[in-house]
Amino acid sequence: MSTIEATPVPRSRFFFEALAPGGRRAFFLLGTIATCLLFAFPVFWLVLTSLRPGYAVYYVHRGSDFTLDNFQEVLGQEIVLKALWNSFAISTLATVLSLGVTVTSGYMLSRFRGTIPTVWFGAIYVFRCVPYVSWVLPLYFVTRAMGIFDTYWGLLLPHVAVHICFFSWIMKGFFDGIDPSMEYAAMIDGCSRWGAFLRVALPAAVPGLTALAILCWLYTWNEFLFALILTAQNTPILTVVMAQFVHELGMEWHLMSATAVLALGPALIVTIFGQKYVIRGLKI
Amino acid sequence: MAEVVLTNVRKTYGAVVAVEDLSLAIADHEFVVFVGPSGCGKSTTLRMIAGLEDTTRGTISIGNRVVNGLQPKDRDIAMVFQNYALYQHMSVYDNLAFGLRNRRVAAAQIDAAVRNAARILSIEPLLERRPRQLSGGQQQRVALGRCIVRNPKVFLFDEPLSNLDAQLRAQMRLEIKELRQRVPTTSVFVTHDQVEAMTLGDRIVVMKDGLMQQVGSPLELYRRPVNRFVASFIGSPAMNFIDVNVTAAPTGFRLRADGVDLELPQRRFAGLGAHAGRAVTIGVRPQHLRLGGAGEVEHVGLSGKVMVTEQLGDEQVLAVRIGAGDIRVAGVDPELSLATGTRIDVAVPMDNLHLFDTASGAAIR
Repeated sequence: MSTIEATPVPRSRFFFEALAPGGRRAFFLLGTIATCLLFAFPVFWLVLTSLRPGYAVYYVHRGSDFTLDNFQEVLGQEIVLKALWNSFAISTLATVLSLGVTVTSGYMLSRFRGTIPTVWFGAIYVFRCVPYVSWVLPLYFVTRAMGIFDTYWGLLLPHVAVHICFFSWIMKGFFDGIDPSMEYAAMIDGCSRWGAFLRVALPAAVPGLTALAILCWLYTWNEFLFALILTAQNTPILTVVMAQFVHELGMEWHLMSATAVLALGPALIVTIFGQKYVIRGLKI
Repeated sequence: MAEVVLTNVRKTYGAVVAVEDLSLAIADHEFVVFVGPSGCGKSTTLRMIAGLEDTTRGTISIGNRVVNGLQPKDRDIAMVFQNYALYQHMSVYDNLAFGLRNRRVAAAQIDAAVRNAARILSIEPLLERRPRQLSGGQQQRVALGRCIVRNPKVFLFDEPLSNLDAQLRAQMRLEIKELRQRVPTTSVFVTHDQVEAMTLGDRIVVMKDGLMQQVGSPLELYRRPVNRFVASFIGSPAMNFIDVNVTAAPTGFRLRADGVDLELPQRRFAGLGAHAGRAVTIGVRPQHLRLGGAGEVEHVGLSGKVMVTEQLGDEQVLAVRIGAGDIRVAGVDPELSLATGTRIDVAVPMDNLHLFDTASGAAIR
């Protein structure tokens, strides 16, 4: 006679299954809330700090004096306004310019075989292997030599280059997920190769494209290292200006927080607008 | 008029030869099916006709015009793909209208063509939907519709039924046949399914390893396969093969192998003369074997042991062990109860015997 042996149940699973269905749900909910809090808390603290007067930032949990003076003060500084505009313009331009290249380069990597795609792929791969930090110094010399140091172009071009390297792969992934026979059908239906790309492949890639655009924009908006090294007084960038609230005379956390909250605004708008695309894009 | 003529077409990818020296003339309004196992070059041939692949050598002409250098859009063809290839971001209506809009046809004319195609294929209620809201069969109908509206010179089908389940496939096969009668157009159909090839084609081209093996009507291929490959590929269940040795006998030839001993008359199998003393392969279709001894004239008999029976309801298919190999016998009375190990005799009319050179596989006539 054969005996049936009980398979040992892992302890954690046992615990979870021991809970009533309602209990499991509550447990899951609690875990979700805890995780959200973990990420939301720093933002909450930042907003809190931005609303406190300078002397109270180290005692945020004590006292009840709140003020909007910090915002008034940073918005009164011309450099902050200029930095806000510069960061916005450069993020937007970098996104538009790099996507123009990324889309075609991703498409090429996905659809074509041969020497050019292979070399291009190799080049991107090599660039991605090199630590990001090590590009900064050479770029500083290059931008100086080209006479574009501390200009829009001086920051834009390196950003576009980085985006192309990082996002061509992701774009290739998007196009890999789109059936090429759709383009063949379009070519038979009267489109040229370019026409098939523009009218059939590209519209199908819009969710991915939007996700990439948002990632691109946020990346440049938040980027610090390039901005710090490749710009000076002429082209203030928000992240650098923010860092400059820490200086030899002390740390103006309240002003820095106020600027950071200001910086949060556009990023938040962009993210809320494109949230659904980012999630769809990340699934690929 | 739109005959498609392939002349010495060759296609290589680096060192790999995909299609070798293919010449074929497809008549106007003819329906030709390319069939073969995967990697035999059939899809490549179709894509060369479509202009999606260049030819390495040779010429392709459609309607007396060499199209080698022409873009797919300029060849006046339409193609149905295995995975339908519908434009996902467009409605069914726009999918159907896309080709005509590209050719700057007047809107009223497009509308008429789209509605006409939708009526022929019974997809009128679906015109406003998106492709991903449709079932596989409906999507394939839309893909067919996309071809019809354009009224092209040639229809190309690249395994259009492979993604459908068996029942739907049978239904779509009938619909394609019906469509042919309504919209007679020169068609090239690629499939790996010999049933589709047999049922749809006016002529069938059997391919293997980039080489055209045989071209002919379904019945020609079934009755007179030129080699062992064609014989095994066409027909279901597949043809039985038995390797035997040929020796000359007083009135003809003696074919012997383990469990097989046949005598064939000289006058009917003169071709065997050149093979005396060598190995040949006998081919017999399972449907041509009948239970019972070779009592009748012009029949030969085999005997073996029943190994497995497959009950299909209207018939049984037996696996019978002869010597070391098994052969299949189809069309056996389903009421007949045959235990494993039962010794049985089967017979086949000599007319239905196929003989192949074992080494080359070529048919011996």
